[in-house]
Amino acid sequence: MAVQLQTAHASLAERLEARGFTRRDFLKYCGSLAVMLGLSQAAAPQVAEALEIGEKSGKLLPVIWMEGGSCSGCTESLAQTNTPDIAELVLETISLNYTETLSAAAGHTMEQARKDTIEAGGYVLVYEGAVPTAYDGNVLMVGGEKGIDSLAETAEKANAVIALGSCACDGGWMAARPNDAASMGVQKFLSDKGIDTPVVNIPCCPANPEWLVAVIVQYALMGTLPELNSKNEPVEMFNQTVHDNCPRRGHFENGEFVYQFGSAEEAKGYCLYPLGCRGPQTFTNCPITRWNRSLSWCVEAGAPCIGCGNINPMHPQRNWVDESTPFLQRHRDISLGDFHFQPPAAALAFTVLVVGVLAVHAVGMKVAGRVDGGADFEPERRWDVKHGTPAAHEAGACAAKLYDGLDAEGLEPKNIKRFRRIREAKKAGLDPKAALGFKVEHASEEPAAANDDAMKGGEE
Amino acid sequence: MAHMAHYREAHPLPFVITHWVNLVAMIFLILTGFYIHYPLFGGVMSLARGLHIFFGIVLLLNCVVRMVLAFFIKSAPAPGTRELVMDYKTWLPQRDNKHQLWAWISYYLFLRRDHPIAAKLGVPQKIVYLLIPLLIFFTGYTGFCLWGVTANWGFFAVGMDFLGGPMKVRILHYFMMWAFLVFMCIHVYLSLIEGVSPASLIFFWKETPGLVYDPETMNIVGFDGMGEEPDYGETFKEKQA
Repeated sequence: MAVQLQTAHASLAERLEARGFTRRDFLKYCGSLAVMLGLSQAAAPQVAEALEIGEKSGKLLPVIWMEGGSCSGCTESLAQTNTPDIAELVLETISLNYTETLSAAAGHTMEQARKDTIEAGGYVLVYEGAVPTAYDGNVLMVGGEKGIDSLAETAEKANAVIALGSCACDGGWMAARPNDAASMGVQKFLSDKGIDTPVVNIPCCPANPEWLVAVIVQYALMGTLPELNSKNEPVEMFNQTVHDNCPRRGHFENGEFVYQFGSAEEAKGYCLYPLGCRGPQTFTNCPITRWNRSLSWCVEAGAPCIGCGNINPMHPQRNWVDESTPFLQRHRDISLGDFHFQPPAAALAFTVLVVGVLAVHAVGMKVAGRVDGGADFEPERRWDVKHGTPAAHEAGACAAKLYDGLDAEGLEPKNIKRFRRIREAKKAGLDPKAALGFKVEHASEEPAAANDDAMKGGEE
Repeated sequence: MAHMAHYREAHPLPFVITHWVNLVAMIFLILTGFYIHYPLFGGVMSLARGLHIFFGIVLLLNCVVRMVLAFFIKSAPAPGTRELVMDYKTWLPQRDNKHQLWAWISYYLFLRRDHPIAAKLGVPQKIVYLLIPLLIFFTGYTGFCLWGVTANWGFFAVGMDFLGGPMKVRILHYFMMWAFLVFMCIHVYLSLIEGVSPASLIFFWKETPGLVYDPETMNIVGFDGMGEEPDYGETFKEKQA
């Protein structure tokens, strides 16, 4: 195997290089894939031959690769893999019986190949893209059949489903607000349908092909799925944050940050945290596996992590896009209906409002003459005045007498004249409010005079 | 002139200390938290995170200590008295609080002119203060959900899932900080607006003269000048004579 790997690798290096990134080269590679499968580039009979290989040979793991609401980016990403190379993958470990992007064949022949594989059983389904469920699934048709029906049909009989890419995991871009297509991830869709085929989620946009290859190879060679976390992701690949393994982590700890693209700090390769890097909350091992044949990855290439691996498989409304946008802000936007805003702005606005209310209240307190010691105490609790026991009334009467005594002694200087006027008005049977004529002039003048008296004897 | 006499019995020394610890920890947490949220200037991220985690743990422990001490230390159930009850009782609804919720609200809305008689903690105050430990524990919990060292512990991982993932938890944690900030604004405002007596007691353990309260009859019965001014009222009948 190792020798085969080496030779295969060596022979493929030139082809991969020749492949480049253009569509034309990519299509050529699709043709070469068919050739590697033992087919000519052209027609259905050859695809049928490929299926025969899969059916007849027990050691090849049949794989169906379906696409839902997808940009084919994950397929494209897989086409860049090198360990093992796609050819190695296809020839040595799996029989890729159905793939919409890479197969040379199309139409009913392809659909028949899928159905034959389902009938034969013992296959793995790789699903790329979101599952759009709006209009009873009529938003996505493949071969005259609803996408959700063919997914359910294929997943039900599969040994395992690999949801490849964040769209397949939680709806991703497709499920992003307003999610008119009612998209969701495969796991939730199957769970809603009551299909209990195990689902392995491999997130990111696109998914790193090395993760897929690792899962497939494990399944093909050992017949087991990797250990999964609470999001059904392989634990080993998704238990640490991007931040944990980031090559720029040292700059983070030192407090060396990039605040603006195109700045001197950016040229020095400082930490991208202030530009909204989602590394601290994104659980993937991107900095370890890296991308495009381990050449580089987002942060290494100078872009802050946008959190594409931050999936919520069972909650499409928490898809990673809505959870992370706007990408260059520290926080996602939060929404009240159609109104979207940043949490700091909302928090600041609310706090300013509170402080404003307090300021107005303070003016009111000043006007009411309560600032320097508060208003006068009630002699008896109001509730007691109406509902209290005779003992309470007696205590209240004592307190009222006490206040009068304090007045006489000049011991309770604050607002006491005003308070006494109320009591006198009550005694005289006048309307206390009218007698008091609660005026700003009264409230502010008298306490000031009274305070002068108090200052002679006591301290505040 | 302070209205009620402010006695040390209202805030025994250990609680003065826990209040100081709260203040210092919260100030550090807010400053370092703002820095971690968005480092306006470079250079001290390690320090900021270290302090943030340290003071977060200090705040949590302090809160626990304060709650435990409430069952071992006695304090006055109302201002204006030196009588003592077990401190936790001053946190629960008291006889003195009865029928006083609307009294307090209407007082602060200027719907009445006279000051309600109340326990050490007024009704709205008591409700808000009782929420503070919950706020501290919840904010601490979300903090541990976000801290790499503890994020993978089952107890915190469950919360992370339940609350909707790291971004939601981050925003919640952030909003909790603002909740503290808003609380502090209101708390500082209300404790200072009628004079500095409450503040000088809780910070410097300094007593101030004022009215005397009888927890038995739940009424104001005298005036304690604390040597500065003549004492007056039922409590001081002997002096008057």
